Amino acid sequence: MPALSSTMTEGKIVEWLKKPGDRVERGESVLVVESDKADMDVEAFQEGFLASVLLPSGGTAPVGETIGLIVETEAEIAAAQASAPAAPAAAPAAEPAPAPAVATASAAPAAASVAPPAPAPVAAPAPPVPAPVATPMPVAADGRLVATPRARKLAGQLGVALESLRGSGPRGRIQADDVERAAGQAASVPRVAEGSAPAVSAAAGAVASGNGSAAAAPAGQCFGNPGDTVAFNTLQAAVNRNMVASLAVPCFHVGYTITTDRLDAFAKSVKSKGVTMTALLAKAVGVVLARHPQVNASFSEAGMVYPPTINVAVAVAMDDGGLITPVLPTADRTDLYSLSRTWADLVARSRSKQLKPEEYSTGTFTLSNLGMFGVDRFDAILPPGTGAILAVAASRPAVVAGKDGSIAVKRQMQVNLTADHRVIYGTHAAAFLKDLAQLIETAPESLAL
Amino acid sequence: MIPCLDAILVEPPQPVAFATAWAWQRGLQARLLSDPDGPEALLLLQHPPCYTLGRGGSERFLRFDPADPPAPLFRIDRGGEVTHHLPGQLVAYPVLALQRHGGDLHLYLRELEGAVLDVLQAVGLKGERKAGLTGVWLEGRKVAAIGVGARRWISQHGLALNVNCPLEGFGAIVPCGLSGHGVTRLSDWCPGLTTAQVQPLLRQALARRFGLRFRPPNPSEVTWQ
Repeated sequence: MPALSSTMTEGKIVEWLKKPGDRVERGESVLVVESDKADMDVEAFQEGFLASVLLPSGGTAPVGETIGLIVETEAEIAAAQASAPAAPAAAPAAEPAPAPAVATASAAPAAASVAPPAPAPVAAPAPPVPAPVATPMPVAADGRLVATPRARKLAGQLGVALESLRGSGPRGRIQADDVERAAGQAASVPRVAEGSAPAVSAAAGAVASGNGSAAAAPAGQCFGNPGDTVAFNTLQAAVNRNMVASLAVPCFHVGYTITTDRLDAFAKSVKSKGVTMTALLAKAVGVVLARHPQVNASFSEAGMVYPPTINVAVAVAMDDGGLITPVLPTADRTDLYSLSRTWADLVARSRSKQLKPEEYSTGTFTLSNLGMFGVDRFDAILPPGTGAILAVAASRPAVVAGKDGSIAVKRQMQVNLTADHRVIYGTHAAAFLKDLAQLIETAPESLAL
Repeated sequence: MIPCLDAILVEPPQPVAFATAWAWQRGLQARLLSDPDGPEALLLLQHPPCYTLGRGGSERFLRFDPADPPAPLFRIDRGGEVTHHLPGQLVAYPVLALQRHGGDLHLYLRELEGAVLDVLQAVGLKGERKAGLTGVWLEGRKVAAIGVGARRWISQHGLALNVNCPLEGFGAIVPCGLSGHGVTRLSDWCPGLTTAQVQPLLRQALARRFGLRFRPPNPSEVTWQ
């Protein structure tokens, strides 16, 4: 089921335009998906034959779920149909995520367990249009899934759907390595490093992508070919200037580990209302900044500048290089739902390069989130004209010892504040982080008030 | 936003038969499909009375025999349930390359709602969105219906805003499949308001929301007509 919107969690198949057995040309519409009041024709991105429809017209499926199989040759239709019953289980509880769209799955050339590498296209890192993704199934001739006991156990722990993996072991058996690789593959998921989900751990991200072709590691972003020297584009040059300017600022870093179980639970409960993790974090930071105006202040030759409002900027990497920091103005006083809508609009328009200067240059505090890549900690460079930036890493399960000696597994994320020491001192940073942690750990629900 | 995207604007002076406007849209859509960098377009017009039903729409929301409708009935390639068009209602059909506007279908629906909300604000009304019920509402009654279809992210269909149309025709259907929600029109709230007054507001709101710079079609671009 392709993701037609960042807020789409499931879609309904209005109509299959092709019947099993039909020939499908590249670019030809195969089915129509409806989400909300919008229909989209979904096209095949490779030619072949529609072997099997796993979700009939009228059916609803979560984003990422396999809904049909396309094979390359007529001869493979029968084999794919035989293995098809294994597929509906492929995404049992796949958490919908802002993942690249997965349209129709291409069955492995043969349903037998030999599983030669499918010649199907790898999920492009940023398919703007739903692209088919290979989901070869390591099923034995009798349709059974073959995996080592350790792989099964790991899959359970990491939340990886075994059915979505291609085994690298003998006769296609899924090994522990395959599961781990799939779990660590979340980096291929977001098309921009836009912090929509720091609380999604790497493992969950990989499952959500529904893209289990673990063997096909996506290439990292690159702007030139080996041997080239590529000129900086305007945005990259602007970032360069800002980064170099930061060298004149006496920065220091303060880190904090925040437990996010309540935040994650709350995020889940408001996700259907279009609230993203970015909006939640921006709101939380805004509310806490209101009580810690020193951390919202910045240096100037004339003295410490206290901005009249709290404008939280969030760093967004651009596909073609450089990054931009769209601003959520008055984040402390804007309600969570408006913030979420504003953020969606800002991201959309930053991608199409339609932001006005005041929409990306008026931040008083910056958030940078690499959580969706599974990063466990990093630090950020201070943007000029501001006093502090907060680096947010992934939320991951951790074994936590309580004060009373109890041991529990909780989800935790590390945040790391970079601050200009001319304005913000260690105690200011620490007090701010302590309050932020307290808000996120004990009262995230208050963010919706 | 600074209007910067080139867009063809078509505003016929007379109501246009649904089938004709639909063919225009498909022509414009095909144009954009074959020339992905080409201009976008907006049709802003009114229809003679008719009913349309989304591809996945259910006939149980018709209160008439689909074989013998009180006005022509079309089953069309958009999302959503049945709706009614008639003179006095403005319909806007943006044919946009949605990739230029975020590549996000829900976001597109929200922007269409936003454009109607802008129009309402301009005439002193406060419309609202309802979570999960796409459209624009005035005190619990629907004033604008929305339904879109897209092929390779090129949109067609769009929104219908009731300005001063009679509302009786809506009695023959359950609009958008939502029973228990009435429909309303702007002239009930702003007596005397006409489509001639609202049309420029809607055109400007859409231009602002989507950053479009409108121009009439070139002679080479009217072949679809």
